[in-house]
Parts: sequence; C-alpha cells; structure tokens
Amino acid sequence: MAYAELHCVSNFTFLRGASHPEELVERAHELGYAALAITDECSLAGVVRAHVAAKEVGLKLIVGSEIAFGDGQRVVLLATNRTGYGNLSALITKGRRSATKGRYALSLADLADGVPGCLALLLSDPQPSPEHAQTIAACFPGRAWLAAELFRAPDDAARLAAAAALARSAGLPLVAAGDVHMHVAERRPMQDVLTAIRLGVPVFDAGDALHPNGERHLRTPGDLAQLYPQPLLDETLAVAARCTFSLDELRYEYPAELVPPGVTAIAHLRALTEEGLLRRFPHGTPDTVRGQIEHELALIEELRYEPYFLTVHDIVRFARSRGILCQGRGSAANSAVCYALGITEVNPACMAMLFERFISRERNEPPDIDVDFEHERREEVIQYLYAKYGRDRAALAATVISYRPKSAMRDVGKALGFDLGQVDRLAKSVAWWDGRQVLPERLAEAGFDPANRKVALLIRLVDELVGFPRHLSQHVGGFVIARGQLSQLVPIENAAMPERTIIQWDKDDLDALGLLKIDVLALGMLSAIRRALDLVGARRGRPFAMRDVPSEDPAVYEMIGHADTVGVFQIESRAQMAMLPRMKPRRFYDLVIEVAIVRPGPIQGGMVHPYLRRREQKEPVTYPSEEVRGVLERTLGVPIFQEQVMQLAVVAAGFTPGEADHLRRSMAAWRRKGGLEAFERRLVEGMRERGYQEDFARQIFMQIQGFGEYGFPESHAASFALLVYVSAWLKCFEPAAFACALLNSQPMGFYAPAQIVQDARRHGVEVRPVDVLASEWDCTLEQGPGFRGQGSGLGGDERGARNGERHCEAPRDQAIRKTIPASAPALRLGLRMINGFSLEGAARLIAARAQQPFDSVDDLAVRSGLDPRDLKCLAAAGALARLAGHRRQAWWDVAGIERASPLAMARAEESQPDLFPLTEGQDLVADYASLGLSLGRHPLALLRDRLQRDRIVTAEALRRLPHGRLVRAAGLVINRQRPGTASGVTFLTLEDETGHVNVVVWRDLAERQRRELLGARLLAVYGTLERQGEVAHLIAGHLGDLTPLLGNLVTHSRDFH
Amino acid sequence: MLWLALHFHSLSLEVFSRGAAVPDPLAVVEKQGGRTWVIASNDAAEARGVRAGMAASAAQALADGLVLRRRDPEAERESLEGLAVWAGQFTPSVSLAPPAGLLLEISTCLSLHRGLPNLLRLARRGVAEMGYAATMACAPTSHGARLMAKAGVEKAIRGPARLESILAVLPLMLLDQPPAVLEGLERIGAQTLGDCLRLPRDGVARRFGQALVDELDRALGKVPEAHAFFEPPVSFERSLELPAPVHDAEALQFAVRRLLPELEGFLVLRQAGVQALELVCRHERRDHSVLKLGFARPTREASRMHLLLRETLGRTRLEAPVHTLVLRAPLVLPLSGSNSDLFRKGREADGDLLLERLRIRLGKEAVYGVETAADHRPERAWRPADGPKRTGRANPHRPLWLLPEPLSCRDGGLKLTSGPERIESGWWDGGDVARDYYVAEDRNGARLWVYCDRASGEWYVHGVFA
Repeated sequence: MAYAELHCVSNFTFLRGASHPEELVERAHELGYAALAITDECSLAGVVRAHVAAKEVGLKLIVGSEIAFGDGQRVVLLATNRTGYGNLSALITKGRRSATKGRYALSLADLADGVPGCLALLLSDPQPSPEHAQTIAACFPGRAWLAAELFRAPDDAARLAAAAALARSAGLPLVAAGDVHMHVAERRPMQDVLTAIRLGVPVFDAGDALHPNGERHLRTPGDLAQLYPQPLLDETLAVAARCTFSLDELRYEYPAELVPPGVTAIAHLRALTEEGLLRRFPHGTPDTVRGQIEHELALIEELRYEPYFLTVHDIVRFARSRGILCQGRGSAANSAVCYALGITEVNPACMAMLFERFISRERNEPPDIDVDFEHERREEVIQYLYAKYGRDRAALAATVISYRPKSAMRDVGKALGFDLGQVDRLAKSVAWWDGRQVLPERLAEAGFDPANRKVALLIRLVDELVGFPRHLSQHVGGFVIARGQLSQLVPIENAAMPERTIIQWDKDDLDALGLLKIDVLALGMLSAIRRALDLVGARRGRPFAMRDVPSEDPAVYEMIGHADTVGVFQIESRAQMAMLPRMKPRRFYDLVIEVAIVRPGPIQGGMVHPYLRRREQKEPVTYPSEEVRGVLERTLGVPIFQEQVMQLAVVAAGFTPGEADHLRRSMAAWRRKGGLEAFERRLVEGMRERGYQEDFARQIFMQIQGFGEYGFPESHAASFALLVYVSAWLKCFEPAAFACALLNSQPMGFYAPAQIVQDARRHGVEVRPVDVLASEWDCTLEQGPGFRGQGSGLGGDERGARNGERHCEAPRDQAIRKTIPASAPALRLGLRMINGFSLEGAARLIAARAQQPFDSVDDLAVRSGLDPRDLKCLAAAGALARLAGHRRQAWWDVAGIERASPLAMARAEESQPDLFPLTEGQDLVADYASLGLSLGRHPLALLRDRLQRDRIVTAEALRRLPHGRLVRAAGLVINRQRPGTASGVTFLTLEDETGHVNVVVWRDLAERQRRELLGARLLAVYGTLERQGEVAHLIAGHLGDLTPLLGNLVTHSRDFH
Repeated sequence: MLWLALHFHSLSLEVFSRGAAVPDPLAVVEKQGGRTWVIASNDAAEARGVRAGMAASAAQALADGLVLRRRDPEAERESLEGLAVWAGQFTPSVSLAPPAGLLLEISTCLSLHRGLPNLLRLARRGVAEMGYAATMACAPTSHGARLMAKAGVEKAIRGPARLESILAVLPLMLLDQPPAVLEGLERIGAQTLGDCLRLPRDGVARRFGQALVDELDRALGKVPEAHAFFEPPVSFERSLELPAPVHDAEALQFAVRRLLPELEGFLVLRQAGVQALELVCRHERRDHSVLKLGFARPTREASRMHLLLRETLGRTRLEAPVHTLVLRAPLVLPLSGSNSDLFRKGREADGDLLLERLRIRLGKEAVYGVETAADHRPERAWRPADGPKRTGRANPHRPLWLLPEPLSCRDGGLKLTSGPERIESGWWDGGDVARDYYVAEDRNGARLWVYCDRASGEWYVHGVFA
C-alpha cells in the first residue's frame, strides 16, 4: 500500500514535535512511504536537516508548513515548485515579522493571493465552517484539499462522515493525513512532556491538553489501511506527485551592486587588487607574490567567487573609513588577494601559504572569511550592512539553541512535578563539566534515588530531550545577503534584540545548501590594539598602525618565552602560560602553532606532548610515508590543525576531497549526534590498504574525534597569531599604552582590571589614582615620573601632599621588571573605573574643569552640576582626595551638598566634624568596592605577618623552591577553571602581593572540599610543588578557607567553563 | 516609666520551626535584586555551614536536605500579634514594634508580679514554652530598651545618664533608618550611636535628615515617645504550621503546647475562661478534621488544658497527616459567670446540616460528591469531592457507570458495535494504560464498555451503559 504523509511536524515546531527531522525521514523511509512532508508550524527551520537526511536515504521530501490562524483554523501549505517555495517562505516571514520573537500572526486574508505555487490542505480539526472551506477552495482553485485525520477516537466514523460532507459541500477533494508529531509511538511520553512544558504545568495536570493516545506517529501502512478508505490514501500520492520542489534548486545569488556597470566582476576585483598591491609593495610586488596573485585570481574566476571577495572587501573598506580596526581570518582570508585588499595583515611573502590549501577546486566548498571587528564598534558595521542592502535582503543566520542537560533537567523536572527546590537541585546536579550525559551518580549525590520510578523516568526523558532544539537565537555575526528578496530564499523572523532579524537556518543549514554567509564578528582585543596604537601614535606624533609594528623582534619572543603574557591576545590564559616556557616560540609560525595547540582538540587527541617532545628534540621526527610528510612536516609530524586532519584522510586513507569535507562537518556535529563510526571503518580500512599500521590509523581517528567541534584551522590561527604578536609587542615596548588600552576596552580578556594594573606596575609603569583634577573618562597616559613640568597640575610632586592620597609605588617585588626609560609615560586611571559613575556626569565634570580647575568640592559641585549619586561615587572612589582629603571627609562634604542648596556661603558657617581617616585596610576595602582594584599595598601584604605564622610562603618564594617540596601558599582566588578536557581537574590561580600561584585540584579533593573550592575568596593551599623548568604547579592536598581574614574585602574570581 | 523590650531575633525562622521538637536544617530566604539569599538559618543548618547572607543556591549545595522557606512577613506579623496577646497577662500596655519586637510598659505592674526579676523569669519561661527566643532589656524609654534588646544588651536600666552611656556604644545599624542613611553614616566612619552624637547636630540633620536626630532624641528620652497600644482580639484562634506533616496524634501534643500560653495570656487579659476548645487539623488534599475538647467547668490555666489535651490526643487516630494546627476557643466565658444560656446564643446555623448528619451516620467514605477530572484514563476522569463543586461536561462516548475495577471477560458472546477508541496515557504515575475501547452488546442486549489491553491482549469490561 502506498502512502505519502503530508502533515508532519518535527521538533522544530518547538514544544510540540517530539522527533528530530532526521528521525522522521529515516522512519518514513523504513515504512516505505512514498514521500514525507515536513510541515513545521510557520517555520522552515527543520527542512534542511530533513532534506540532507532524505537525500541520503533516497526519500522524497516535501517542504511545507502548518499555519494556524488567529481563530484557530489551520491549514497546511505545501510547495510545489521554486515559486511556491519562495511564496511560502515570504508568507512565513510575514507572519513571523508581525509578531514578537517565537510567535507569528497570520489571518486568512494573508492567503488571499492564493500563495501561487503552493497546495493547501485544510485541516478538519477544529471543524471548519462551510464558509471557511469555501473560501479556501476559492483561494486555491484546484489546489486545495480537506485533510481527514483519524486517531482512533470514539467517533472516528462520525468524523469521517462529517469531513466527507463538508468536502462535498465545499467542492474540495478529501485526502488522508496524520498530524504526525513523532516518528514512533514510543515518543508518546516525550510528546506529553513537551505539551506540559509548553503549558507550564506538570504533566498530570495537563489533562485534556495531552493527546489521548500515541497515534500521532508515522503509522504503518497496515494501520493506515484499516483506518482510511483507500481513495483517501491514494489521494496522498496525487498530492505528493504535484510537489516537485527540492531544496537543491535553491541557488545563491550574490548582490549585484558591488561591480560598477560595464565592468566584469573579475576585472573589478583585479583592479582593486592591483591598487592594493601598490599600497602594500610601493617598491614593486615581489615575483612570488605576483605569481600567487595570478594563481588565486584564476581560481576565483573559475569558481565564480568574485562577488564574495568584493562583498568582504566592501565591508572592510567601510570599517577602515570609520577607523574601525578589523581583520579577516579563515580559509580564504590568508590569501595574497586578501592581503592586497587589506582584509588581512598576514603578509604572504613572509609565510609560505598555499592558497589552494584553503580553497580547493575539487571540494567546491564555499570560501570562508570571518572578519573580526573592534567589539565596541561592530554594531556600526552591522548597521552599515542593513543600510546598504536593506532589511529585506540582509539578515543574520540563526543559532539553534538546543536543550542541554541542565535546561532539560529543569524543564522535565517541572513537568514531572518535582517541586521548585528539587528542580533546582536537579539542575545543579548537572555540572557543566559533565558533558551531555545525565549521570545517575550525580543524581544520587544530589539526594535522588536513581532507582526510584520517577527519577528513572526523569533520566530517560532528559536523555531524550537533550539535543532537541528549543528556540532560534541570533548567530554571533553570520550575515546572509541576497541579490533580491531574502525572504524568497528562507523565512526571516524577529530576534529577541529589537530591530534585529534572523533567518530560520543556522550555519550548518547554509553550509549544507552551499549558501554563503559572511561572518561579522566582535573581538575585544582589536578594540584594545586600536586604542594602544592610537596612544602610541599620539605620543610619537604620527599615526602608528598595525603594519608599523616591527616584525619578528627577539625581545618580544623572549618575553613570551617567560610566559610574561598577562593581557596578550590568546596566550594569556593559564593553560597557554604553562605551555609557553616549553614551546619557547621564536618566530611567527611558532605563534600560529601555539594558538592552535592549546585547545581541547589537540589536547584530547593527545597531540600536545608528542609535539613538545619533538620540538625539544627528545624524540625523533618521523613520518610513516612521504605523503604524510608533505602534510605534517611543518608541525613536526604531529597533526595540529583541522586542515591537516582532512588532508591526512585524503592522502593516507584515500578519501576524496568531498568525503573529507563531509568528515569535517561530521566532526563538528558528532558530539551532538554521534555517527562517526562509519568514517572510522572507512578511515582505518583505507589506511590499512595503503600500508599504514592499524595503530597509526586508530591514533589518527582518535585525533579526529578529539578535534570534534574544537579543532582549530590553521587559516584562523594565522590571523590570530598576528594579533598575538602585535599585542605582545605593545606589552613589551609600550606597557603603559597597552595596559591603558586594555583597561579602556573592558570587559574583555582573561584578567580583571586589578590584575592588569598589578601587572603593569610589576613592569615599572607608574599608575596614578583616579582624580577629579586630572582624570578623563578613559584611562590616559601622562608625562612620566622623570618629567617635572608645568601645566595641568599632574606632576608627581603634588602626590601625597594631602591627607588620604595613596601610595603609588609598584609592589616591592620586581621579579620581571624591566628598565623603563625616564621618559616613559605614567598611566592615569580614568573616571570610568569608578563603579556607578555616569558617563554623562564625567562629561559635565570635564567640561567644567576645562574652563577652570576646581578649588573645592563645593566649586566642583556647583560648576559641574553633578547629581548626588555621582558625587557620592567620586567620594567613595577617593577621587576627591586632592580637594577634600580622605574619603570620610569627602563623603561628609558631598552629603552636605545633597540636602542644602548649593550655596557655598550657607555651609561655610557649619561646624566641621572631626573625622578619622580610614586605616590602610579600610582604604583597601573601599578601593576594591569602588574601583575593583587598589593602588595601595596588596591585601595579602597586609596579612603577611599573620600568614607567616602559618608558614605560608609567597608566590615569589615559591619560584625558588625545588620540585617535590611540600609547601603552603595562599592568595586571592582570581580564576577557577574546569576544562572539559581535564577529567574533573580544577585549575585555580591565586594572587598574592608577589605574583600568581597556579594550583591544581584533583577531582576527589574537589569533591571533598567543594565548599572551600567554590566558596573561598582567600584560599590557603597545602600541597606539593611540581616543577618543570620555569613552569610550576602546586598540587593541592588540602584547602583552607581564609576568607574571614579579608573582612568585607570584595574580590572577584572569573570562573571559566 | 519603665519599659521592657522583647526582641525576637529568630522570628523569621521560628514561624516555620517552632512546631517541631527536633528541628531539621532550615533556612529562611528572601529574594533581593533577582537572587535569593539566606536571611536566617537555624542551628542545624549552621552546623553544616549555612550562614545568613549566602545565596540560597550556595546554601543548598552545602547542606543536603536543607529546607528552604521563603520569608513570610504575614506569618511573622501574626506571630507577633499572638505574642502580644500572650504578653497581655503582664500589662495592658503592650506595643507592637514590628517586625520582631514587643514593648511592655511595666512600671505599674511590677508589684503585681512580685518584682522585675520574677516578671522576667515568667516572661522568659512563656517565650520558651511557645517555641520562641527573645532578648530582653529594660530602660526608661521604650526605644532605648528596644535598641538594647536588639543589640543583645540584656540589662535593666533605670536612670537616663546610664542609658546614654550604654546606648552610646551600640551600633548605628540598629536604628530604624533607611539604608541610604545608614550607609552614609558608615561612609563617614560613624559606627556607634555615640559617634553620631558627637557630630555637629545641625550638620547631621542636614545630611542625614531630621528623622535621625529625632530617633536618637527619643531613645535618650530627650523628647517624649508616642505609643499605640495593642488591642487584643475579641476571640481566640491561632494557627501553627507544622514543619513536616505529622502522622501521629500524640506527636501533635508538642505543637499544641506551643499555642497554650497565648491562649492563657488572652484569657487572663479578658478575665475569662473556656469550657470548650476546638483543635482543627488541616490535611493535605482533603477536608480538615476537628477535635473537640470539653472541660467540666470554665478554665484558663494552660497546664490544665494541656492535661486534657494529652489524654484526648492519646486516644485519637488521625485520619491523615496534619500540616497545620489551629487552636480555637469558640466561646469565651467570664470565669465566674453562668453558662446555661450562652450556649444557645452562640450556636451558628449550619447550612450543610443534612449532609453533615448523613456523613456522621454513614461515614465520610460513604457520602461524597463527584467532580470530573481532566485525565484521559476513564478510571481517573472523576474523583470524589466534598460537594457538587465542579461540573464538567460528561463524555457522551462513555458510560456514566464504571465498574469499581475492570472485570476480566472471556465471554465470546459479546458483539462489538463500535470502536476502537484508543487510550494511551498515564505513564507518569506508574498507571500507564494502553487500551482499545469498544462498545459491546451481550446476549441480553445490555450495552457494555469493554476494552482490549494492548500489552496483554486480554479483554475487560469497564462499564455499563444505562
């Protein structure tokens, strides 16, 4: 018996559909269906996945959508051809755009034009009125049916009769359909749970909202034949036969306006490239580069990628014109053409990059260029795109937000009627480091019995729900730009952010259909670098750009080799810092490797140590074959980059480039879906056939698995490495400008302002306090300590003259201090550092000060007109010290202004109280509370005597102790990290007045001393020192919470997942 | 004037915990700025590291089985009023000082209670019997006494000079001032009342408001205080929520005892007694039950009432676990008056008299109403109710009359006339069913509702059509 299911929702009909599109496709194929329509409710979000799966098994897929009108009546629309698809997509767009995120609003009037190219199935539940049926029949002449849907209700026969009568009266043919919500009946509990979640009630209170049985699954042909008269089943085939549209017909068309009239695209691209080459190489383009350019342009022309390069060039050109720093990365970015176009700064002459490594003729893979912009200014770029192409042509790609164990636990827990406290505990029992599985042990720890029926149900349902899409969110920056109406290609809906729209497909969907997107990303480090370059330029009296940074300076590599990298892009993390002294990067390509190697991919794949051993020449560099040598030579025989893994599959296992590309996609998805096994067989067999040992083959496969979603491509690493180098150079030669730029770009990076300031001072930068007489909104550079100038009253000689001014010397320890020339600038903290102080207040204050310096708090208050809140912020920050003395006096002064009229005379007669200044410790507390940092002594310095009694040593002393020594250290917890790769190890960074201590806490201790580990702000660690050259870790044996010693000192740890 | 201030420092906890003899770890939480914080925790919780000021989630992570309750200002207010009723036995001049204080003017009643030490002893005992804890202080001003009690300075002060020197060292945080004022005082380094008193008076008023200066003056007795005295209610009804459901009547004794001192205070103040008491037990998901106690003659002594309660509870079997207990004095009698005609006057008409009587005669299980329930499973599509409360639409495809249990049926003589209706539901409570229902006719022409169990293939009769 032949049947085509014409009404089926997947789990992209959120909280209704209980099966993945792929599951539905596979099951329909298994049952021998002639075709399957995926008809998610006002959505096409699941169709690409279904399409890919259907192609694989060879099932005919129909694209459609179920639409419910405001009055509850429902129709299913099915696309017959490309026009119908475009109109359906536009209709969905209309419905989605006229409602808030996640909803839609359509009425019968919106179908008045008959949605050309679409068929309509009028659903018989709820029972449509004859008039309604006639309207549909009239709108869709010869293209409308009445769908009879039977689910073994007590009155099936009556329903069928009623439907037949209605169909007759409206002149509609009758067709069978299944309102499918799940691929198999066993999903019934899940479907009930989704209903309960949707309604926000426990499943046992959902009552009649639940379906009475599990009939809404893909039923066997035998079942269907029992239920429906044969003609109705036959009719499904007739309907399906009219739907000939396939998503393969979608062709992406580039925007046309980037090529001037009368010129071909390639000619225009060539002209721009030549122009760029003149700028890049004023003394003539080197022959190698010239050759490469020709090669690349030929390839681009052949693959017709010109508009893509022109689009990216246009965006970058816009950013440049606004002074927004940006840089491209990705497979196509590190080409000579991109260098000439100014998309990247990685000089092809310096790196033997083969363009073909990144774009391949055979793979027919779209070029990939991500462009990073300064994080605070990316919005300008996005607005430019919207303005240039219009909202009907440009939109962001979606990110499908899926259920994770924690959210699934929360929702299923509520649906099963666990109370709120229990749901909280359940959710908490899933730590972020447990991955996607629900571990019964964790539930037991949280006080739930895994054997209990309800808990067992919970585990089962959560496992099933994890990975279900929950809603669409906006991709970080992937733009799709169309030549015509984008909504004819894919539905567009509103994002949560006002004025932001997203398409219904994510990155993988676009990839699968070969549609192009351009990633417009935000990168904090670019903001910091741009600011630092501006500061350096201002001081040197001429513009200073990234290309002016001298390349390959040994002093920079020297600094990096000592892991002296707080604030440096990418290599500032603790894991990177532990690697640097072993890697000792000496040239640019080393940085490329460094960026890629300290990642979960290479770590899980076990590549790090072999690489290090080979680099340190402790192990010979060998290759199993010449082909493999070609792929791995630049990384000493160890695969480190994603591209290498794919090339290995090609040269060693005989994959075609297309298969290798498929492998790459599967690598990214296997954690979600699994399914690498087929590749494993194929890979291992392929390699065995070519004479490789099975061990080697298995090892490569393990590495592929490890790469999973974390593999880092060389093409991205190269661009990142450039930012590593530039930021390291700035830190090395312009430490004040660098620290200043980092502070002004917060929040970003791995370290809080307190650590950035500490580090700058350790490098000899004089840091000056926030001061209403000197500070701007941003942190600024001032004449350094060697300077005794006149002017704005910033000279060092005034410091300390007034009560309450703090010490500004750097900490005593100078482990890594460099000699700073006498003319080096000092760093003045800006008003932005003050917690709660308003930007508007700062503007008023600075304007008033520019007219005439303030001579008292009253003068400041009167002339700047600050509100009481801002005044109090200034007092609390100690920024009034030079006008009012210590913080308490300053507070008394500003509090007086709040209540009285700001007439200074009236208050002059007031008697002055006798207020005691804060103690050093209290001042410190106040500093941290208001600024998040202190220029006074480190809190640990104040406690040192007390700590010494417990024989706790400093970070400085630790550096001189040998491997294996039992020691005690203590410090503020500034970082807690529990990488997914490190099997339950927690890494802590402690800070004392002399530096950082790296602590390793193994899982069993972490469980035993969870309270100290997660709760302590000041932590003592008793443990064993493990040292490897310059790298030292303290392996914790016992933790002590010393937080009470801090009083109410506020410090923040940045906890990383 | 002499004021006794009682400060119930753990009231927010005690409203939840005082019904239990051995408290479980308990913390009271409050939502502030989008997060939930612990504001108080009992000893059992503190032994596991729970502290006020912690995030609720952190507290839960520390102590398994920690009970978290959201702060209940309503219950605290009721408790405080209950305490005021109780305090009425010492003096008619009782003032509430919310959220957790009572102020008693005691200069006139000291001799009645044989001096201050004895009065304090009685008060302490009463507080403990009711399951509360309080700090107590005496001073010539009520606010002074209250500040001392809040600070835990349990002293009795009679002279103003001594009062000032004691108040001067108390922290400013105790004052009834808005947080912004308290923060401002901290910012200028003023920590104690004394620090504040040393500042220029006009400067303080300008910066922190006249209300602050006034409050200090009142505490020191420099300006007179105004009081609103507590008006005791005319009848007595107090409820006590039990921390965990109680299954055993004898275990209720403990909780009842918590309520008796309040009743005693009430009766003393009213110069009255009771001859009957009602103990209302509230249960989960069913009607409350009432235990009635009668005394031979009117009484007001807590100890006598307790005796009788103990006897009665010892002989009672609870119908269901009790989560809340209510002690009610339906009728208050002048202790020496006659009671014969009072009974008739106090009798309330009972609307459901017939139902009430039938139920007493036949038992509650025999007489009940029915309401529909939203569940696809036929046997769960209705449930007993107290009365004809909710009317749902009857399902026309189902018989009105279901058998108490489905009856296994192997009769081959049934003729299926319509169906199947497939019901698959209820996996969540262990009562998952998967059945195909049919309407069938037996040989006698009776219409039956039968089903085939899809798991076993067995047939059952589930109902009979009228």
